Amino acid sequence: MNRTIFWSTPAAIVIAGSVSGYATTYLTVNQAQKLCFANATEFAPSDVALSPEQMRAIQKDSGVTVRFATQKVWRVRAGDRFLGWFLADQVLGKHEFITWALALNADGSVRQIEILDYRETYGYQIRDGQWRAQFYGKQHGAPLKLDVDIRNISGATLSCRHITDGVKRLLSFYDLVLKD
Amino acid sequence: MKCSKKRWLTMAATATIYLVALAVRADEQLFGFVRGAETLPQGQSELYQFVTLRTGKNEGTYYGVDFETEVEHGFTDRLQASLSLENHYFYNRGVNGPTDGLDDSDRYRFGGVEGSVKYSVLSPFKDPVGLAFRIEGGYLSNDEVDGLPQHDRYVAPEMDLQRNFFDDTLICEFWYGSEFAWGKQPAEQYPRELAIQGGAGISYRVAPNWFIGIESHVRSEWPMFDFDNFEHVVVYGGPSLHYTTKRWWTTLTWVNQVWGEGIDEPHNGQTFAEETRQAVRLKLGVNF
Repeated sequence: MNRTIFWSTPAAIVIAGSVSGYATTYLTVNQAQKLCFANATEFAPSDVALSPEQMRAIQKDSGVTVRFATQKVWRVRAGDRFLGWFLADQVLGKHEFITWALALNADGSVRQIEILDYRETYGYQIRDGQWRAQFYGKQHGAPLKLDVDIRNISGATLSCRHITDGVKRLLSFYDLVLKD
Repeated sequence: MKCSKKRWLTMAATATIYLVALAVRADEQLFGFVRGAETLPQGQSELYQFVTLRTGKNEGTYYGVDFETEVEHGFTDRLQASLSLENHYFYNRGVNGPTDGLDDSDRYRFGGVEGSVKYSVLSPFKDPVGLAFRIEGGYLSNDEVDGLPQHDRYVAPEMDLQRNFFDDTLICEFWYGSEFAWGKQPAEQYPRELAIQGGAGISYRVAPNWFIGIESHVRSEWPMFDFDNFEHVVVYGGPSLHYTTKRWWTTLTWVNQVWGEGIDEPHNGQTFAEETRQAVRLKLGVNF
Protein backbone atom coordinates (compact mmCIF):
# COMPACT_ATOMS: atom_id res chain seq x y z
CA MET A 1 0.00 0.00 0.00
CA ASN A 2 0.16 2.03 1.15
CA ARG A 3 2.40 4.77 1.49
CA THR A 4 0.66 6.10 -1.58
CA ILE A 5 -2.80 5.96 -0.05
CA PHE A 6 -1.66 7.33 3.28
CA TRP A 7 0.31 10.24 1.87
CA SER A 8 -2.25 11.10 -0.75
CA THR A 9 -5.20 11.18 1.66
CA PRO A 10 -4.59 14.75 2.89
CA ALA A 11 -4.07 16.02 -0.66
CA ALA A 12 -7.27 14.34 -1.77
CA ILE A 13 -9.19 16.03 1.04
CA VAL A 14 -7.80 19.43 0.06
CA ILE A 15 -8.64 18.98 -3.60
CA ALA A 16 -12.07 17.50 -2.94
CA GLY A 17 -12.94 20.35 -0.64
CA SER A 18 -11.92 22.99 -3.13
CA VAL A 19 -15.15 22.74 -5.05
CA SER A 20 -17.46 23.69 -2.21
CA GLY A 21 -17.01 27.47 -1.93
CA TYR A 22 -20.02 29.72 -2.31
CA ALA A 23 -20.90 33.38 -2.55
CA THR A 24 -23.53 35.62 -1.04
CA THR A 25 -25.21 37.77 -3.65
CA TYR A 26 -26.92 40.74 -2.06
CA LEU A 27 -27.87 42.67 -5.17
CA THR A 28 -27.80 42.28 -8.93
CA VAL A 29 -26.48 45.13 -11.04
CA ASN A 30 -30.03 46.10 -12.03
CA GLN A 31 -31.19 46.15 -8.42
CA ALA A 32 -28.20 48.27 -7.39
CA GLN A 33 -28.86 50.70 -10.24
CA LYS A 34 -32.43 51.22 -9.10
CA LEU A 35 -31.33 51.70 -5.50
CA CYS A 36 -28.76 54.32 -6.48
CA PHE A 37 -30.88 56.19 -9.04
CA ALA A 38 -34.54 55.61 -8.19
CA ASN A 39 -35.79 58.20 -10.68
CA ALA A 40 -33.61 57.16 -13.62
CA THR A 41 -35.21 56.27 -16.91
CA GLU A 42 -32.09 55.15 -18.75
CA PHE A 43 -28.88 53.31 -17.88
CA ALA A 44 -26.81 53.47 -21.05
CA PRO A 45 -23.89 51.03 -21.10
CA SER A 46 -20.68 52.99 -21.63
CA ASP A 47 -17.90 50.55 -20.76
CA VAL A 48 -14.41 51.97 -21.04
CA ALA A 49 -11.42 50.01 -22.33
CA LEU A 50 -8.42 51.51 -20.57
CA SER A 51 -5.14 51.92 -22.38
CA PRO A 52 -1.96 50.91 -20.54
CA GLU A 53 -1.15 54.63 -20.24
CA GLN A 54 -4.52 55.35 -18.65
CA MET A 55 -4.12 52.45 -16.23
CA ARG A 56 -0.71 53.74 -15.20
CA ALA A 57 -2.06 57.28 -14.82
CA ILE A 58 -4.95 56.13 -12.60
CA GLN A 59 -2.58 54.03 -10.53
CA LYS A 60 -0.18 56.95 -10.12
CA ASP A 61 -2.95 59.38 -9.23
CA SER A 62 -4.75 57.12 -6.75
CA GLY A 63 -1.87 55.06 -5.46
CA VAL A 64 -4.05 51.99 -5.98
CA THR A 65 -3.34 49.10 -8.35
CA VAL A 66 -5.56 48.97 -11.47
CA ARG A 67 -6.25 45.27 -12.05
CA PHE A 68 -8.69 45.32 -14.93
CA ALA A 69 -8.35 46.97 -18.34
CA THR A 70 -12.10 47.30 -18.79
CA GLN A 71 -14.25 49.41 -16.50
CA LYS A 72 -17.98 48.75 -16.51
CA VAL A 73 -19.82 52.06 -16.71
CA TRP A 74 -23.42 53.19 -17.27
CA ARG A 75 -24.44 56.75 -18.10
CA VAL A 76 -27.60 57.54 -16.13
CA ARG A 77 -30.41 59.81 -17.28
CA ALA A 78 -33.92 60.77 -16.21
CA GLY A 79 -35.48 61.89 -19.44
CA ASP A 80 -33.20 64.60 -20.83
CA ARG A 81 -31.55 65.24 -17.49
CA PHE A 82 -28.09 63.73 -16.89
CA LEU A 83 -28.03 62.27 -13.37
CA GLY A 84 -24.55 60.79 -13.18
CA TRP A 85 -22.63 57.55 -13.58
CA PHE A 86 -23.03 54.01 -12.31
CA LEU A 87 -19.83 51.95 -12.12
CA ALA A 88 -19.63 48.21 -11.34
CA ASP A 89 -16.30 47.09 -9.99
CA GLN A 90 -14.37 44.44 -8.11
CA VAL A 91 -11.84 44.76 -5.30
CA LEU A 92 -9.79 42.07 -3.65
CA GLY A 93 -11.23 40.48 -0.56
CA LYS A 94 -9.05 38.32 1.60
CA HIS A 95 -9.77 35.27 -0.54
CA GLU A 96 -11.95 36.29 -3.47
CA PHE A 97 -13.17 39.41 -5.20
CA ILE A 98 -15.81 41.64 -3.64
CA THR A 99 -18.21 42.88 -6.32
CA TRP A 100 -19.51 46.36 -5.61
CA ALA A 101 -20.94 49.43 -7.33
CA LEU A 102 -20.22 53.12 -7.12
CA ALA A 103 -22.79 55.73 -8.12
CA LEU A 104 -21.50 59.20 -8.96
CA ASN A 105 -23.51 62.38 -9.19
CA ALA A 106 -23.26 64.53 -12.30
CA ASP A 107 -20.50 66.61 -10.65
CA GLY A 108 -18.41 63.49 -9.94
CA SER A 109 -19.11 63.32 -6.21
CA VAL A 110 -19.97 59.98 -4.61
CA ARG A 111 -23.72 59.44 -4.55
CA GLN A 112 -23.95 55.89 -3.21
CA ILE A 113 -22.07 52.63 -2.69
CA GLU A 114 -23.63 49.17 -2.85
CA ILE A 115 -22.09 45.76 -2.16
CA LEU A 116 -23.29 43.21 -4.72
CA ASP A 117 -21.43 39.97 -3.95
CA TYR A 118 -19.52 39.16 -0.79
CA ARG A 119 -17.71 35.85 -0.42
CA GLU A 120 -15.47 36.41 2.59
CA THR A 121 -15.67 34.77 6.00
CA TYR A 122 -15.49 38.04 7.92
CA GLY A 123 -16.02 41.69 7.01
CA TYR A 124 -19.64 41.72 5.82
CA GLN A 125 -20.12 44.78 8.06
CA ILE A 126 -19.05 46.94 5.11
CA ARG A 127 -22.68 46.66 4.01
CA ASP A 128 -23.61 48.79 7.00
CA GLY A 129 -25.35 51.93 5.70
CA GLN A 130 -23.65 54.27 8.14
CA TRP A 131 -20.21 53.08 7.12
CA ARG A 132 -20.95 53.49 3.41
CA ALA A 133 -22.49 56.91 4.04
CA GLN A 134 -19.07 58.25 5.02
CA PHE A 135 -18.15 58.27 1.35
CA TYR A 136 -21.16 60.20 0.12
CA GLY A 137 -20.23 63.60 -1.27
CA LYS A 138 -16.53 62.73 -1.48
CA GLN A 139 -14.81 63.91 -4.62
CA HIS A 140 -11.54 63.29 -6.40
CA GLY A 141 -8.73 64.60 -4.21
CA ALA A 142 -10.25 63.52 -0.89
CA PRO A 143 -7.76 61.64 1.34
CA LEU A 144 -9.90 58.47 1.44
CA LYS A 145 -7.78 56.77 4.02
CA LEU A 146 -8.80 54.58 6.93
CA ASP A 147 -8.64 56.33 10.29
CA VAL A 148 -8.14 59.67 8.50
CA ASP A 149 -11.43 60.55 6.80
CA ILE A 150 -12.94 57.04 6.73
CA ARG A 151 -13.76 55.21 9.93
CA ASN A 152 -12.56 51.63 10.08
CA ILE A 153 -14.74 48.75 11.23
CA SER A 154 -12.69 46.62 13.59
CA GLY A 155 -12.86 43.02 12.50
CA ALA A 156 -13.52 44.03 8.89
CA THR A 157 -10.36 46.03 8.30
CA LEU A 158 -9.22 44.39 5.07
CA SER A 159 -12.62 44.83 3.40
CA CYS A 160 -12.87 48.43 4.64
CA ARG A 161 -9.44 49.27 3.27
CA HIS A 162 -9.98 47.64 -0.10
CA ILE A 163 -13.39 49.29 -0.64
CA THR A 164 -11.86 52.63 0.41
CA ASP A 165 -9.01 52.08 -2.06
CA GLY A 166 -11.58 51.11 -4.70
CA VAL A 167 -13.47 54.38 -4.26
CA LYS A 168 -10.22 56.32 -4.51
CA ARG A 169 -9.27 54.48 -7.71
CA LEU A 170 -12.66 55.04 -9.34
CA LEU A 171 -12.63 58.73 -8.46
CA SER A 172 -9.27 58.95 -10.22
CA PHE A 173 -10.79 57.04 -13.14
CA TYR A 174 -13.62 59.58 -13.24
CA ASP A 175 -11.25 62.52 -13.07
CA LEU A 176 -8.76 61.28 -15.66
CA VAL A 177 -10.97 59.36 -18.08
CA LEU A 178 -14.71 59.74 -17.60
CA LYS A 179 -15.07 63.44 -16.91
CA ASP A 180 -14.02 64.41 -20.41
CA MET B 1 7.41 -0.14 5.75
CA LYS B 2 6.48 -2.90 8.13
CA CYS B 3 3.35 -1.31 9.52
CA SER B 4 0.32 -3.28 8.37
CA LYS B 5 -2.00 -2.18 5.62
CA LYS B 6 -4.93 -2.40 8.02
CA ARG B 7 -3.15 -0.14 10.49
CA TRP B 8 -2.45 2.54 7.90
CA LEU B 9 -5.95 2.37 6.52
CA THR B 10 -7.27 2.82 10.05
CA MET B 11 -5.04 5.83 10.61
CA ALA B 12 -5.95 7.39 7.29
CA ALA B 13 -9.64 6.84 7.99
CA THR B 14 -9.25 8.31 11.48
CA ALA B 15 -7.54 11.39 10.09
CA THR B 16 -10.23 11.76 7.45
CA ILE B 17 -13.03 11.47 9.99
CA TYR B 18 -11.34 14.10 12.17
CA LEU B 19 -11.01 16.43 9.22
CA VAL B 20 -14.42 15.99 7.74
CA ALA B 21 -16.34 15.96 11.00
CA LEU B 22 -14.67 19.03 12.38
CA ALA B 23 -15.41 21.31 9.50
CA VAL B 24 -15.13 24.82 11.59
CA ARG B 25 -11.96 27.53 11.49
CA ALA B 26 -9.65 29.61 13.73
CA ASP B 27 -7.68 32.63 12.79
CA GLU B 28 -6.84 31.52 9.33
CA GLN B 29 -3.39 30.02 9.09
CA LEU B 30 -1.52 30.14 5.81
CA PHE B 31 1.35 28.07 7.17
CA GLY B 32 1.81 24.84 9.02
CA PHE B 33 4.31 26.01 11.62
CA VAL B 34 4.31 29.82 11.36
CA ARG B 35 1.82 32.22 12.94
CA GLY B 36 0.83 35.72 11.86
CA ALA B 37 -0.58 38.73 13.69
CA GLU B 38 -4.28 38.42 12.87
CA THR B 39 -6.91 37.60 15.46
CA LEU B 40 -10.51 36.50 15.26
CA PRO B 41 -13.20 39.19 15.20
CA GLN B 42 -15.21 39.64 18.40
CA GLY B 43 -17.80 36.95 18.98
CA GLN B 44 -16.44 34.58 16.34
CA SER B 45 -15.43 31.05 17.23
CA GLU B 46 -13.50 28.53 15.25
CA LEU B 47 -12.46 24.93 15.51
CA TYR B 48 -9.26 23.45 14.12
CA GLN B 49 -7.99 20.00 13.60
CA PHE B 50 -4.26 19.58 13.01
CA VAL B 51 -2.74 16.27 11.99
CA THR B 52 1.05 16.12 11.89
CA LEU B 53 3.07 13.17 10.68
CA ARG B 54 6.71 13.18 11.81
CA THR B 55 8.94 10.56 10.27
CA GLY B 56 12.59 9.63 9.67
CA LYS B 57 15.20 8.90 12.31
CA ASN B 58 18.84 8.01 12.03
CA GLU B 59 17.91 4.35 11.79
CA GLY B 60 14.89 2.08 11.81
CA THR B 61 11.31 3.10 11.11
CA TYR B 62 9.67 5.92 13.02
CA TYR B 63 6.22 7.42 12.61
CA GLY B 64 4.85 9.88 15.13
CA VAL B 65 1.40 11.27 14.39
CA ASP B 66 0.06 14.19 16.40
CA PHE B 67 -3.64 15.01 16.53
CA GLU B 68 -4.46 18.43 17.92
CA THR B 69 -8.05 19.58 18.27
CA GLU B 70 -8.47 23.24 19.15
CA VAL B 71 -11.32 25.64 19.82
CA GLU B 72 -10.68 29.37 19.56
CA HIS B 73 -12.86 32.38 20.36
CA GLY B 74 -12.53 36.11 19.71
CA PHE B 75 -13.40 37.96 22.92
CA THR B 76 -12.75 41.34 21.33
CA ASP B 77 -11.50 42.24 17.86
CA ARG B 78 -8.00 42.23 19.33
CA LEU B 79 -8.11 39.43 21.91
CA GLN B 80 -8.62 35.75 21.26
CA ALA B 81 -8.10 32.63 23.36
CA SER B 82 -7.96 28.95 22.58
CA LEU B 83 -8.09 25.56 24.25
CA SER B 84 -6.79 22.36 22.68
CA LEU B 85 -6.37 18.65 23.23
CA GLU B 86 -3.32 16.75 22.01
CA ASN B 87 -3.13 13.06 21.11
CA HIS B 88 -0.34 10.98 19.58
CA TYR B 89 0.15 7.76 17.73
CA PHE B 90 3.60 6.13 17.57
CA TYR B 91 4.97 3.36 15.42
CA ASN B 92 8.67 2.57 15.98
CA ARG B 93 10.75 -0.35 14.79
CA GLY B 94 14.49 -0.47 15.25
CA VAL B 95 14.95 3.16 16.30
CA ASN B 96 17.58 2.13 18.79
CA GLY B 97 20.88 3.42 17.56
CA PRO B 98 23.47 5.21 19.67
CA THR B 99 21.58 8.52 19.62
CA ASP B 100 17.91 7.56 19.55
CA GLY B 101 17.37 4.58 21.85
CA LEU B 102 13.60 4.20 21.49
CA ASP B 103 11.82 0.98 22.32
CA ASP B 104 9.72 -0.57 19.57
CA SER B 105 6.19 0.66 19.93
CA ASP B 106 2.79 0.74 18.27
CA ARG B 107 0.52 2.78 20.49
CA TYR B 108 -1.75 5.76 21.01
CA ARG B 109 -1.08 8.17 23.85
CA PHE B 110 -2.97 11.11 25.24
CA GLY B 111 -0.67 14.12 24.86
CA GLY B 112 -2.18 16.76 27.09
CA VAL B 113 -4.11 20.00 27.28
CA GLU B 114 -2.98 23.38 25.97
CA GLY B 115 -4.34 26.90 26.02
CA SER B 116 -3.33 30.21 24.49
CA VAL B 117 -4.18 33.90 24.54
CA LYS B 118 -3.29 36.25 21.69
CA TYR B 119 -3.57 40.03 21.63
CA SER B 120 -3.30 42.07 18.45
CA VAL B 121 -1.54 45.41 18.86
CA LEU B 122 -1.26 46.50 15.22
CA SER B 123 -3.28 45.35 12.21
CA PRO B 124 -1.44 44.06 9.13
CA PHE B 125 -4.27 45.53 7.02
CA LYS B 126 -3.91 49.18 7.98
CA ASP B 127 -0.74 49.62 10.02
CA PRO B 128 2.78 49.47 8.55
CA VAL B 129 3.24 46.08 10.19
CA GLY B 130 0.93 43.75 12.07
CA LEU B 131 2.00 42.93 15.61
CA ALA B 132 0.52 40.53 18.14
CA PHE B 133 1.65 38.96 21.37
CA ARG B 134 0.68 35.42 22.20
CA ILE B 135 1.22 33.24 25.23
CA GLU B 136 0.62 29.52 25.32
CA GLY B 137 0.68 27.14 28.23
CA GLY B 138 -0.29 23.59 28.99
CA TYR B 139 0.13 20.28 30.71
CA LEU B 140 1.54 17.40 28.66
CA SER B 141 1.33 13.96 30.26
CA ASN B 142 3.20 12.07 27.53
CA ASP B 143 6.05 13.32 25.40
CA GLU B 144 5.77 13.66 21.63
CA VAL B 145 8.90 11.66 20.79
CA ASP B 146 7.73 8.26 21.97
CA GLY B 147 4.80 8.84 24.29
CA LEU B 148 6.87 8.44 27.41
CA PRO B 149 5.25 9.63 30.65
CA GLN B 150 6.10 13.07 31.94
CA HIS B 151 4.51 15.90 33.90
CA ASP B 152 5.40 18.71 31.54
CA ARG B 153 3.96 22.10 32.50
CA TYR B 154 5.03 24.81 30.15
CA VAL B 155 4.51 28.43 29.27
CA ALA B 156 5.53 29.89 25.90
CA PRO B 157 5.38 33.64 25.23
CA GLU B 158 5.94 34.86 21.69
CA MET B 159 5.73 37.84 19.37
CA ASP B 160 4.00 37.59 15.97
CA LEU B 161 4.75 39.98 13.13
CA GLN B 162 3.00 40.22 9.77
CA ARG B 163 3.56 42.42 6.74
CA ASN B 164 1.31 42.27 3.69
CA PHE B 165 2.19 43.48 0.22
CA PHE B 166 0.42 43.99 -3.14
CA ASP B 167 -3.11 44.55 -1.79
CA ASP B 168 -2.68 41.78 0.77
CA THR B 169 -1.90 39.11 -1.82
CA LEU B 170 1.68 38.56 -0.63
CA ILE B 171 1.83 37.81 3.07
CA CYS B 172 4.97 37.60 5.17
CA GLU B 173 4.77 36.26 8.71
CA PHE B 174 7.40 35.98 11.41
CA TRP B 175 7.21 34.79 14.97
CA TYR B 176 9.76 34.49 17.72
CA GLY B 177 9.47 33.28 21.27
CA SER B 178 10.56 30.99 24.03
CA GLU B 179 9.18 28.08 26.00
CA PHE B 180 9.81 27.35 29.65
CA ALA B 181 8.97 23.77 30.65
CA TRP B 182 9.03 21.98 33.98
CA GLY B 183 8.46 18.30 34.75
CA LYS B 184 10.14 16.80 31.68
CA GLN B 185 11.27 13.70 33.59
CA PRO B 186 11.19 10.80 33.19
CA ALA B 187 10.73 11.29 29.43
CA GLU B 188 13.86 13.43 29.39
CA GLN B 189 17.05 13.46 31.41
CA TYR B 190 16.55 16.91 32.92
CA PRO B 191 13.50 18.22 34.79
CA ARG B 192 13.51 21.72 33.28
CA GLU B 193 14.13 23.01 29.80
CA LEU B 194 14.18 26.28 27.93
CA ALA B 195 13.41 26.39 24.22
CA ILE B 196 14.08 29.32 21.92
CA GLN B 197 11.92 29.07 18.85
CA GLY B 198 10.63 30.99 15.89
CA GLY B 199 9.66 30.84 12.27
CA ALA B 200 9.07 32.79 9.11
CA GLY B 201 7.00 32.26 6.00
CA ILE B 202 5.99 33.97 2.82
CA SER B 203 2.81 33.08 0.94
CA TYR B 204 1.30 34.41 -2.28
CA ARG B 205 -2.30 34.31 -3.44
CA VAL B 206 -1.86 32.58 -6.80
CA ALA B 207 -5.59 32.44 -7.52
CA PRO B 208 -8.77 33.31 -5.62
CA ASN B 209 -8.84 31.12 -2.49
CA TRP B 210 -5.42 29.59 -3.13
CA PHE B 211 -2.12 30.52 -1.48
CA ILE B 212 1.25 28.90 -2.09
CA GLY B 213 4.10 29.61 0.27
CA ILE B 214 7.38 28.57 1.75
CA GLU B 215 8.16 28.49 5.43
CA SER B 216 10.85 27.66 7.92
CA HIS B 217 10.99 27.25 11.67
CA VAL B 218 13.75 26.78 14.19
CA ARG B 219 13.88 25.44 17.72
CA SER B 220 16.78 25.13 20.15
CA GLU B 221 16.60 23.53 23.59
CA TRP B 222 18.59 24.32 26.72
CA PRO B 223 18.10 21.98 29.73
CA MET B 224 17.90 23.52 33.20
CA PHE B 225 17.24 26.97 31.65
CA ASP B 226 21.00 27.20 31.24
CA PHE B 227 22.57 28.60 28.08
CA ASP B 228 25.77 26.75 28.95
CA ASN B 229 23.83 23.49 28.76
CA PHE B 230 23.01 23.09 25.08
CA GLU B 231 20.94 20.09 23.99
CA HIS B 232 19.99 20.52 20.34
CA VAL B 233 19.00 22.95 17.63
CA VAL B 234 17.03 22.18 14.49
CA VAL B 235 15.86 24.09 11.42
CA TYR B 236 13.04 22.85 9.21
CA GLY B 237 11.88 24.30 5.91
CA GLY B 238 9.50 23.50 3.10
CA PRO B 239 6.46 24.48 1.02
CA SER B 240 2.90 25.08 2.14
CA LEU B 241 -0.39 25.08 0.27
CA HIS B 242 -3.46 26.87 1.61
CA TYR B 243 -7.03 26.78 0.40
CA THR B 244 -9.93 28.68 1.90
CA THR B 245 -13.66 29.11 1.49
CA LYS B 246 -16.12 31.24 3.37
CA ARG B 247 -16.75 28.56 5.98
CA TRP B 248 -13.52 26.60 6.23
CA TRP B 249 -9.88 26.54 5.26
CA THR B 250 -7.13 23.99 5.02
CA THR B 251 -3.35 24.12 4.93
CA LEU B 252 -0.95 21.38 3.89
CA THR B 253 2.73 21.80 4.74
CA TRP B 254 5.73 19.58 4.24
CA VAL B 255 8.99 20.44 5.96
CA ASN B 256 12.36 18.78 5.83
CA GLN B 257 15.10 19.04 8.41
CA VAL B 258 17.42 21.57 6.78
CA TRP B 259 19.99 21.58 9.52
CA GLY B 260 20.38 20.28 13.01
CA GLU B 261 22.91 19.70 15.72
CA GLY B 262 22.57 17.82 18.98
CA ILE B 263 24.79 17.11 21.93
CA ASP B 264 26.11 13.54 21.86
CA GLU B 265 25.14 13.18 18.21
CA PRO B 266 27.38 12.97 15.13
CA HIS B 267 28.18 16.42 13.74
CA ASN B 268 26.71 15.71 10.32
CA GLY B 269 24.25 18.56 10.15
CA GLN B 270 21.26 16.56 11.40
CA THR B 271 19.74 15.81 14.79
CA PHE B 272 17.36 12.94 15.47
CA ALA B 273 17.24 12.42 19.23
CA GLU B 274 14.06 14.52 19.54
CA GLU B 275 13.56 15.47 15.91
CA THR B 276 12.76 13.78 12.62
CA ARG B 277 13.96 14.03 9.07
CA GLN B 278 10.65 15.45 7.87
CA ALA B 279 7.14 16.34 8.90
CA VAL B 280 3.84 16.79 7.10
CA ARG B 281 1.11 18.85 8.72
CA LEU B 282 -2.47 19.11 7.58
CA LYS B 283 -4.67 21.74 9.19
CA LEU B 284 -8.37 22.20 8.86
CA GLY B 285 -10.28 25.11 10.34
CA VAL B 286 -14.00 25.83 10.32
CA ASN B 287 -15.81 28.91 11.63
CA PHE B 288 -19.06 28.74 13.52
